[in-house]
Amino acid sequence: MSKILGIDLGTTNSAMAIMEAGQPKVIPNHEGANTTPSVVALGGSELVGVSAKRQQVVNPRNTVYSIKRLMGMRFTDEEVARVKKMVPYEIVEGKNGMAAVKVEGKLYTPQEISAKILAKLKADAEKFLGTTITEAVITVPAYFNDSQRTATKEAGQIAGLDVKRIINEPTAASLAYGLDKNKNEKIAVYDLGGGTFDVSILEIGDGVFEVKATNGDTHLGGDDFDQKIILWLIESFKADQGVDLSNDRQALQRLKDAAEKAKQELSSALETEINIPFVTADANGPKHLNVKLTRAKLEQLVDGLIQRTIPPMKSALADAALTKNDIVEVIMVGGMTRVPKVNEIVKEFFGKEPHKGINPDEVVAVGAAIQGGVLGGDVKDILLLDVTPLTLGIETLGGVSTPLIKRNTTIPTSQSQVFSTAADSQTSVEVNVLQGEREMASDNKSLGRFILDGIPPAPRGIPQVEVAFDIDANGILNVSAKDKASGRVQKITIQGGTGLNKDEVEKMVHEAQAHAEEDRKKKDEVEARNAADSVCYAAEKALRDAGDKVPADVKTEVEEKVKQVRAILATASASELRAKTQDLSTTMQKIGTHMYGSPSDGGQGENEKPGGSKGDGETVEGEVVDTSD
Amino acid sequence: MVKKSMCEDQGRQAKLLEMEGNWKRALADYQNLQKRTAEERLTIASFANAALLTRLLPVLDNLEKVVLYVNDSGLKLTVKEFTRVLSEEGIEEFAVLGDDFDPAAMEALETVPGEEGKVVEVINKGYRFKGKILRPAGVKVGQKEVTNNE
Repeated sequence: MSKILGIDLGTTNSAMAIMEAGQPKVIPNHEGANTTPSVVALGGSELVGVSAKRQQVVNPRNTVYSIKRLMGMRFTDEEVARVKKMVPYEIVEGKNGMAAVKVEGKLYTPQEISAKILAKLKADAEKFLGTTITEAVITVPAYFNDSQRTATKEAGQIAGLDVKRIINEPTAASLAYGLDKNKNEKIAVYDLGGGTFDVSILEIGDGVFEVKATNGDTHLGGDDFDQKIILWLIESFKADQGVDLSNDRQALQRLKDAAEKAKQELSSALETEINIPFVTADANGPKHLNVKLTRAKLEQLVDGLIQRTIPPMKSALADAALTKNDIVEVIMVGGMTRVPKVNEIVKEFFGKEPHKGINPDEVVAVGAAIQGGVLGGDVKDILLLDVTPLTLGIETLGGVSTPLIKRNTTIPTSQSQVFSTAADSQTSVEVNVLQGEREMASDNKSLGRFILDGIPPAPRGIPQVEVAFDIDANGILNVSAKDKASGRVQKITIQGGTGLNKDEVEKMVHEAQAHAEEDRKKKDEVEARNAADSVCYAAEKALRDAGDKVPADVKTEVEEKVKQVRAILATASASELRAKTQDLSTTMQKIGTHMYGSPSDGGQGENEKPGGSKGDGETVEGEVVDTSD
Repeated sequence: MVKKSMCEDQGRQAKLLEMEGNWKRALADYQNLQKRTAEERLTIASFANAALLTRLLPVLDNLEKVVLYVNDSGLKLTVKEFTRVLSEEGIEEFAVLGDDFDPAAMEALETVPGEEGKVVEVINKGYRFKGKILRPAGVKVGQKEVTNNE
């Protein structure tokens, strides 16, 4: 079964997404952008998207944009008259009194033009995914009537898509934020896009969304914001240089680019510099535009526009017969909601922080994809896949916490690693199962511990103990340790050990971040000590193995150095210890030189170092929960 | 009794098939993701600099404008050096003057009287990066009659 494409067919821009392994994924178009301009060039060669937009100036009467405004409209509708005044292409009366577009003598229905946009999205998605797409979920504004919805569905059919469902844009946005899982609450969706503004009040009950009211301004959007900045730039330049740029098309193009960039920058910065060298030239030579724009000034410039969004919010609430206090969730949609002032006004109005986090240009397409996933049966089970909130690991030599499964790993999952012993003839190891982000075991939470005994006596670092972690789909953690030589196994099952609440998890993660540096140092010291101890051990072993083959002076030298390292093992700093260890290693090579021809024993001793340093230390008291085999 | 267990059996069979289907689909999703991630990694590696280089292009535009006003050999060498670095990184300028207007590689900034559909003036140079259009050329396009010029 092929996948269902989620499509946000917008007035200015369109976007698409699909469910993949239970997660929505925004699909870039052929040009590599996540949104596609809803622009179609007709007559001659047909173009859709950014290339259609680029030739708009050459071909204004054949370039159709904002077609969404004409979907399902009668030619006599008031909105059609408004659009007619706004656009350079020809709008005429088509079949049954519906609005249509006439290009080079040929009539096109708005459905046919929208279909060209949908067909491009479909083709680009197919190319990206490498599969055919035949089904789609398409979004429409909440205020769309039956005729407009039917027209949207027809557009999909013309594009070769089986439209499984038409859903409301605010509903899609709510789905994207997972609000369908909440019960009986009221949601406000504030959507300020490129050319239109909507606010919708939804009520969710048992996974079904009901639009209680919707309001807005179909001619208010990001372009108006840019225009305000451009006008300000023109005025500033005129005051400063005495030159009017408002009729200089080249300069205007550069002002537009600069205005968009400044607007974006001021979403995070408090001040930006707008530099346009050589913006124009007069008899005295070139002129440059160089002004500072502060966020405060920008907010002052666009305040009128933002204020215009307040009455629709009030009306929508009134129409839904609700008060601000009834609204539990607020969602922001559309690129303009990135402007901090917009966010502030909405927050002030509803008295709560709006949901953010999903790209406001893509959130509707994401929601459409989720709806598609639900319809296709994709979402049902897979969406429930959970992640481990915190890292899981075991305690190793020196009290270090060694991670086996990192936090945010999707479950079910399993992971195993081979450890060894830390002392000669050690016959048991203790496995202390830890949860947390800190480097040292004592700072993390112990979920349980058990002892694996019956390991045949062997030099340290030789036994191989495989520790395996397995988390099943229900979050139940099974930890087992197996001695590869004897085949002995011990296990522990930890139920609900990962079931911390969100606050506890956050707290643990924050603590880890706060202590990161100090933890790193501690771990570094332990590692240096472990390494020093291993090298001492290897040196002693090498001397023993070499016996008489090593001259007495070399033997004494090595023994002396081992003594030195051991003396400071517990007290020295990591760097001091490393220096001494390095010195010892160098001296040890003298043993090798004399052993020339039979280096295997000494060499092996050294090779075991990493294993040895990972070995679990003392065997202390333990709670063995489950035993088998 | 027998009937009931048969029903149960069929129910289990159906459930099993559904589970197997879900599992295969998840596995397929994963494998496809792996393939695409590998492809994306290649693309990202080769286009990692594209964003930075695109931001440098307007600076080069301005430097080239300065050359028109200031006759300084040091400046000219600097511009030459700048373009050399860009070309070593795989950026090439493409000439479009006199060509047919092509919206895939050019952006029409305005129309002026001239040969219909031809590029009569280049305002911003266009650049290609490893075969892809990094920045379309900003051009003026010729038109016989200028009546439709918005």
